[in-house]
Amino acid sequence: MDVGLLGQFVVNGMMLGMMYALVAVGFTLFFGVLDVIKFSHGDVLMVGTFAGFSTYLGMTAIGIDNAFIQLIGVLVISIGSMAILGAVIARYLVLPLKSAPPLNTLLVTLMLGTVLREAIRLFYPDGSNPKHFPALLPTDSWSLGSFTLRSDSVILLVGGLLVIVGVNMLINRTRLGLAIRAVAQDEETAKCMGINFKMIVLLTFALGSGVAAFAGVMNGLYYNEINFGMGLLLGVIGFSAAIVGGLGNIYGAILGGFLFAGLQTLGAVALPFASAYKDVFAFAVVIAIIAWRPTGLIAEKTSERV
Amino acid sequence: MTQSLKDKLVIILLAAVIAAFSITFIAIEEQVEIFALLVFAAALVLGGAKLGITASIAQSLARNERLMNFAFIAATIAVVFWFREDHFPLLMIATVLLYVIACCGLNIQFGFTGVVNFAGAAFFGVGCYTAAVLGDTSVPLLLVILLGGIIAAIVGSVLIIPVLRTRGHYAAVVTIAFGLLFRTFLEVNDTLGGPQGLGVSGMNLFGWDFNNNIEISENLEISFYMNYVVLALIMVVLTFVLMRRIERSWIGLNFDAVRLDETAAACFGINIKRWKIVAFTLGNFLAGTAGALYAMMLGFIAPSNFAFSDSLILVSIVLLGGMGSLWGTILAAGLVVLLPEKLQVIQEYRFLIYAVVMILILLFRPQGILPRGLRAYIPGWRG
Amino acid sequence: MNILRKSTVSAIALTMALTVGAGIADAKDKVKVAFIGPLTGGVSAIGVGGRNSAELAVQLRNADPDAKYEYELVAMDSECKPNVGVQVATKVAADRSIIGLVGHYCSAVAMGAVDIYHKFNLPMSVWGAVLPDVTYGNDYKEIHRVNGTMINQNDVAAKFMAEQGYKTWVIIHDTTDYGKGHNKYFSEYLTQNGGEILADFGVPADQQDFTAELTKAKQLNPDVIYFGGLVPLGVRVRSQMEKLGISAQFQGVSGIKSDAFIEGVGTELSEGVVSFLEGAPVDKLPGGQYFTEKYKAAGFAEDEEAYGPFAFAAMSLILDGIEEVGPNRKKLTKYLGDIQGHDSIVGKISFDDHGQNTVAAITKYVVQDGKWVVWEDSEYATGARKLAGK
Repeated sequence: MDVGLLGQFVVNGMMLGMMYALVAVGFTLFFGVLDVIKFSHGDVLMVGTFAGFSTYLGMTAIGIDNAFIQLIGVLVISIGSMAILGAVIARYLVLPLKSAPPLNTLLVTLMLGTVLREAIRLFYPDGSNPKHFPALLPTDSWSLGSFTLRSDSVILLVGGLLVIVGVNMLINRTRLGLAIRAVAQDEETAKCMGINFKMIVLLTFALGSGVAAFAGVMNGLYYNEINFGMGLLLGVIGFSAAIVGGLGNIYGAILGGFLFAGLQTLGAVALPFASAYKDVFAFAVVIAIIAWRPTGLIAEKTSERV
Repeated sequence: MTQSLKDKLVIILLAAVIAAFSITFIAIEEQVEIFALLVFAAALVLGGAKLGITASIAQSLARNERLMNFAFIAATIAVVFWFREDHFPLLMIATVLLYVIACCGLNIQFGFTGVVNFAGAAFFGVGCYTAAVLGDTSVPLLLVILLGGIIAAIVGSVLIIPVLRTRGHYAAVVTIAFGLLFRTFLEVNDTLGGPQGLGVSGMNLFGWDFNNNIEISENLEISFYMNYVVLALIMVVLTFVLMRRIERSWIGLNFDAVRLDETAAACFGINIKRWKIVAFTLGNFLAGTAGALYAMMLGFIAPSNFAFSDSLILVSIVLLGGMGSLWGTILAAGLVVLLPEKLQVIQEYRFLIYAVVMILILLFRPQGILPRGLRAYIPGWRG
Repeated sequence: MNILRKSTVSAIALTMALTVGAGIADAKDKVKVAFIGPLTGGVSAIGVGGRNSAELAVQLRNADPDAKYEYELVAMDSECKPNVGVQVATKVAADRSIIGLVGHYCSAVAMGAVDIYHKFNLPMSVWGAVLPDVTYGNDYKEIHRVNGTMINQNDVAAKFMAEQGYKTWVIIHDTTDYGKGHNKYFSEYLTQNGGEILADFGVPADQQDFTAELTKAKQLNPDVIYFGGLVPLGVRVRSQMEKLGISAQFQGVSGIKSDAFIEGVGTELSEGVVSFLEGAPVDKLPGGQYFTEKYKAAGFAEDEEAYGPFAFAAMSLILDGIEEVGPNRKKLTKYLGDIQGHDSIVGKISFDDHGQNTVAAITKYVVQDGKWVVWEDSEYATGARKLAGK
């Protein structure tokens, strides 16, 4: 295989991995503070993408057609509205079920995902059809043999990286991050230390959902096509990635995301007879990894609570 | 009137009311009437609970279990007989019954033992595909149903190691990944029909073709779905007996111990791995048998029948009914299967409404509709 | 309680009927007919167009004072999924008050459902599914089809593309019977016409990311990417080709001949995409003008899309049959079996012994400025614009 082609596969895989990692980071954050899985995460991402798309349409309608300003507008509205949605979900669906079995929380948020998905399909104008998401980034491309790199892909990769680094800094370097980590470690003690538990949970959910919205817009800009069902698989893959990496650990989520994308790409390249088996391959490896490392590649440090 | 006579009357009356309600619910088509009926039922149940009638009925039921079981079987037969000529209602009833069997399997897994399984539809699907593949061979079809269960259990054994080693959300993702893997595999695999699906030949028992209408006389032609309903009902009764036996034996005690506290159970010498394997395998077996008959009844299966969302439907039935509660499972299966079907006119909105209803129930009644009671070692004894 | 209320209602209705009895002495019997198509999901635009057209046929018949019955249309959603389709097919077929059915755009769904119609003796006509096996794969006398099959379509497509001077192809198709059928017939005809297939990729119908397949395709550097599948997948493949800098010509099948495709990929990327459709374009059909006028007059919100005229013709045919032989499934089946040279807006309908109508004409389409244009009328045919790589 020539180098150019290899490079192309690496770039494709990295794009996928970046999106998965961004989704997985959300799962890991929620699990960290509240030990819950919010399964509507993928659909929040999808709603965020549609919010961004509507913003674009609205801005075009009132005559703003500078791509850069549009992009900023799309990102601000999408991330902002999903942060609010995330907090609302936490306040009214997740927190009330705090003492119920974890399965119930999982199911409630799954059902919420269905509600969001169906709502977009039914109530968004012509929502059941795929939509053309505009290319708001410069599309110059550099070719080198069979290797093509487009500037928008590079910008998206760098943007994704910045977001992940930013979230990491926020968690590890700020007072808010300290509070989030405190709550994640021990809710009772954190409360005793004067941390507003509820506020921290809501902020964490807002943060995670905002990151998901970013991933959604990124997805739209990359594929130029969005549809109401796009969140479902992204959510499940993001969840698997977070689990494989080890729940509650941001590095684990990133590792898991890129690992899954790598497996999919590897599956497509290395299974010459049927690239269609790539997802089967990726999920089989995920199961094997979990059997090998039952608490993820980067295991939780806390010991088993009896 | 003596207490026991009163109890018996209460039970028979209750069964009759349930039968009448089911018939009306299945028969009516007008959306307004369906809503009215649902509101009426909800009001009746809530009102009954407020006035303490529900509690006294429950006591009557607990004192006369055998009679209760027979009364409810009789009620089911009455409902089935009512729709003897109508294909679609019978198809729906049979679907409910088969879902009950599959959900009993899940109940053993996470209702009793606490082993989560988000791939219920996949094991159901293994049964379906077994029936599709073996249906054309000379293997007796009754045996195919059993084989459907056995093969589902064997396929499930692939997951035993990861399931045993993990717990909580990690175990959930093992089964979720398996469910997705299963469906994708079916979609890309040509020998099993690919995304197109497979035709399945119908049930045939000792020369009795299940897919022919039963002509009694010129005016009375019983729908062929009746065959499936009867067979499914027999299977439900057998499953039910099995479940009750397990629940009330030392096996059930072991299951409960494993679910409630693994560490404590291990301290008392209970082999946790063994009971988890037994529960997981038995649950998959039940789902597989239900799947095999389901495939024969529908006559056509495709990978999209066994998506992640279908596994969720099975899980939501178990949770809605109340974990480990058998009667709850039956009630919930009826609601979950029939409700979207009855709300056909608001067709496009039915999934939305279904999801909203599920959220409300989970928020306001997280223990399910009919939660499993505490163990009663002496039936009827109040302590 | 229910029965009580129902009887009260009917008693009131009866009284009213008696009082105004003289006025509506010629009240007609009600007869139900059904339509099945994808009303939600990725190809819903075509499904809704078909539903509207069938609805129009029923409306026009009900407005006709000479009609013997009053018709009611039951429209069901197959979601383009075989399992859902089989469920609604069972529901329709099991309802004895439904006499005839116009059904199926998605071949995969039709393949699963035909057995059911046979089992319940429900006469039906397909309005959009193009897989040959729907009619030729069985001997069911209940199954008919007014539109053509994908065989002719791919014959014309292969010849046409070879004439344009293209030499090499990469095929991407979905793995349903629909995509596989297109792959099979197109490969067959292409080889006859001297084209070379460098590779073919079967992909699941709900795949999102095609960069791996397309990267491989890019390395092979084909003249044309042939896509055999429906709109949602086609949109993704076309969009992602651009991402990877693949400049090959994009060739589609009848499954993407929908405005939703252009809306999905945008005007720029859809420019120059070619597709093939059996039957003449609406304005060149024998009854095309009549149909378009009536469709506009009925005020439907959505367009009739590519297969609307066929749905209209199929529904009209079934209504003609019920008028002729009465509301009886078995008689209607027999009536449909004998159809030869029956007038319709899509031309004369004649069923062969498998219930297949013979539609010879295939129309070639190309996207020009965000619209599907008949090839011969386009600037591409005159040479003012050129297809990719020419």
